Amino acid sequence: MAAHTVVDVGGMARPSGQLDAAAALRPHAGLLGVRAAAHLLRRAGFGGTPDEIARFAVMTAADAAASLVRMPPANAVAPPPELTAVALGRPANRNIIRDVQLWWLGRMLTTPAPLQEKMTLYFHGHFTSRATPRFPWITYNQNALLRRYALGNLRELTRDVSKDAAMLIYLDGNVNVAAHPNENYARELMELFTLGVDEYTEDDVRESARAWTGWRVDRRDDSVSFNPALHDAGIKQFLGRRGDFDGDQIVDIIFEQPQCARFFAGGLLNWFVYNDPEPPLVESVAQLLRKHDFELSPVVEAILRSEVFHSDRAYRALVKSPVEFVVGSYKTLGLGAMDIGVIDALQQMGQRLFFPPTVAGWPGGANWLTSGTMIARQNFLSRLLNSQTANGSSWLGNLSLHPTTAAQRVAQNVLQDDVAPAALHEIDAFLSGTGSAALAELSVENFQQRSSGAVYLAMATPAYQLN
Amino acid sequence: MRRRNFLLGTTAGLALVANPDHVFARALAQAPLPGLPGAEDRCLVIVNLYGGNDGLNCVVPHGDDRYYQLRPALAIAKSAVLAIDGRVGLNPGMRAIKRLYDQGRVAIVQGVGYPNPDHSHFRSTEIWQTAAPDRYVHTGWLGRYFDETAIAQTNLFRGVSVSKVLPEVMVSDRTDVPAISGLRQYNMIADDSSSSRDAYAAQARDRRLPFRSPYLAHVMEIESDAQRSSEELPKLVAGYVPKATYPSNGIGRSLALAAQIVGSNLGTRAVYVEHGSFDTHVSQQKTQNNLLAQLSEAIGAFYDDLVAHGNEKRVLILTFSEFGRRIEENGNSGTDHGEASPLFLIGGGVHGGIYGAYPDLALADTGNMGNVRFTTDFRSVYATVLERWLGRSPEGVLGGEFSTLPVLA
Repeated sequence: MAAHTVVDVGGMARPSGQLDAAAALRPHAGLLGVRAAAHLLRRAGFGGTPDEIARFAVMTAADAAASLVRMPPANAVAPPPELTAVALGRPANRNIIRDVQLWWLGRMLTTPAPLQEKMTLYFHGHFTSRATPRFPWITYNQNALLRRYALGNLRELTRDVSKDAAMLIYLDGNVNVAAHPNENYARELMELFTLGVDEYTEDDVRESARAWTGWRVDRRDDSVSFNPALHDAGIKQFLGRRGDFDGDQIVDIIFEQPQCARFFAGGLLNWFVYNDPEPPLVESVAQLLRKHDFELSPVVEAILRSEVFHSDRAYRALVKSPVEFVVGSYKTLGLGAMDIGVIDALQQMGQRLFFPPTVAGWPGGANWLTSGTMIARQNFLSRLLNSQTANGSSWLGNLSLHPTTAAQRVAQNVLQDDVAPAALHEIDAFLSGTGSAALAELSVENFQQRSSGAVYLAMATPAYQLN
Repeated sequence: MRRRNFLLGTTAGLALVANPDHVFARALAQAPLPGLPGAEDRCLVIVNLYGGNDGLNCVVPHGDDRYYQLRPALAIAKSAVLAIDGRVGLNPGMRAIKRLYDQGRVAIVQGVGYPNPDHSHFRSTEIWQTAAPDRYVHTGWLGRYFDETAIAQTNLFRGVSVSKVLPEVMVSDRTDVPAISGLRQYNMIADDSSSSRDAYAAQARDRRLPFRSPYLAHVMEIESDAQRSSEELPKLVAGYVPKATYPSNGIGRSLALAAQIVGSNLGTRAVYVEHGSFDTHVSQQKTQNNLLAQLSEAIGAFYDDLVAHGNEKRVLILTFSEFGRRIEENGNSGTDHGEASPLFLIGGGVHGGIYGAYPDLALADTGNMGNVRFTTDFRSVYATVLERWLGRSPEGVLGGEFSTLPVLA
């Protein structure tokens, strides 16, 4: 295959080939099969166990998408117990944030509604805030807010996240008062959260900042309140409109801009389908968003069942984020709980939950991969597959003692057969003991070590880095 | 596949064999790589004093009475200051750096900062590392420097970060910069033994995959980089014998590794190391004096090591910190987040001395939230390093023109 990769300046690469824009959002017909089911579960969640993949394989794309967007109410989710032991607002042990990270990773692994966590992760990278470890409840509360809106209304989410304590602290809304307006939030609201650069003027930023004045966080109990005395109630001129706007009205005006739907459409396509989506595809999804008044559920469902989502161009067209890589590995093995060691491993791979590198979130795409982060990924796999944890796999212990059969099963469960012949041959040779090092044949005695080694070999292949 | 050995625990008894025919080893065995005139052999070692180093207790304005008035608990006694002139001197822990200063090897630039200072560690660190105070960019200024210089694309060590996590300053679009916290850590566990490289290479090159991905070639390239660099690095630097005694602490180990890398002719142009945390809101003196003493001792050893290997003219140290601290001490014998602070350039190619305006402590009363106002834009320092040390026109990297300082010979 000729090298067709052109990683652009931002590290985001669009697949080669032509988009059929007219057909892109039509529902994909027929039963999914194993590869498409695994693709769907990787994108809409964090991958699937072999059993979950088999269950989705016999569904149509439409039925599978419909089942994925059904989710339990987020208020049924209980906070991490380590956190409930801490009084609200009380400066806490800084390590509690690790407990919250691990709790969230555990939810990603075990939730019956993985799309809920996948959207929460999406919003965490979109409406970013950085944790203040001394105030872990503020971080948790924002996480819970994002989860409540996982497939909710984007306009309402934008209004609420603007007044969220973590956001008010992170982007200085907390110190934005009529006498000294602070433009930080007003700028990012448009530049990074809803419209993109060059869609507004500096005057719009200033006027919006005035509209957002008056929101305060009380550090004693993490509560947020509006203080009219600190609010600028005067007339503002914003994106061509004039009035005594408050923050909610600013959001409403932003969402009336045609660009707003395009901005979110581009984000969703980058997250679910492929990077750098073509403008006509972005516009089709933007139209859907407008049609549904920014309700996400029908739009995400339409994306997940679409022809473009199930096209060859979208298949393995994204780079796994560290969280997808780590949670997906536990999922693939059919493990039941995350280990605390993954927190450090994730940091070395470049993704610390609640600590995005910039207000623009994690840049993604090719930016995830450097030799350092690649070593961290491979060493994470080494440690996992040499640990007692791997023994908890739902299927590793049931592999055949026949090396070729076992190798094929590993390639299927880990890679859905996206494996080059030379790599499959190596796995087979490894299991049968006929490789370049002299090994014993696969036997009951060496079975456990040899089978987890075979999984390591499969996970160390290039395809496994791709989502 | 060489990873199998680790998995089977058969590593014992397998000798590690260097492979002189390896394409990568050959590339590096060549003479230092060609660059721009006068700069081809030079390296920048950038030291991040993270947490916000208090400039006033580092380069102490011992000639200014206001310093002693505003810091009754924290001020460094006049008698303890390592005086440079009648106005300023160094923190008493910085004896080794003072020795280098007296040899003319240290330039101190006072009052370095940027317009509209941000008091958040996170954002201000980002600003110093990306050199973009007015916008958000995902590449660092050294990352953009790597991207702009087309030299030595085959070289995996043009930039090296001595850290667990790649810092933003080294993030680039086209250059793979390894983050190496130590030689022992920069290692693929599964590759601890190596008996069948060819088998792995054949497997890794096999692109007969039933899908296309815009990232597949990139993944393969990075996997190959990671394998080769982690395998080759220990061998490539093995011949270097340190000729100084480094302190046995984090910054000592980091600078020892930096000396080993720059002394092994890998074509490395920039190395990042970090030291901290200088976030001294509480009981500052003990913490900061200790950190500065560690830094000074490590830099002293590093410089001696460079001299012993004839490398001192090839290597420039540049320190930075995301901000200085408030002029007035707080109620906890500490200081809160401030603005401008001094930075150090150290090396055989430095014009020693004090540069930039002395800090105006009257600002504590007259506004600016009681902070030292910046008088030298940090991008002027970067422009100086790019143009006068790395031999690169700074406009493209910094996105604008900035005056340079006469700190380099």
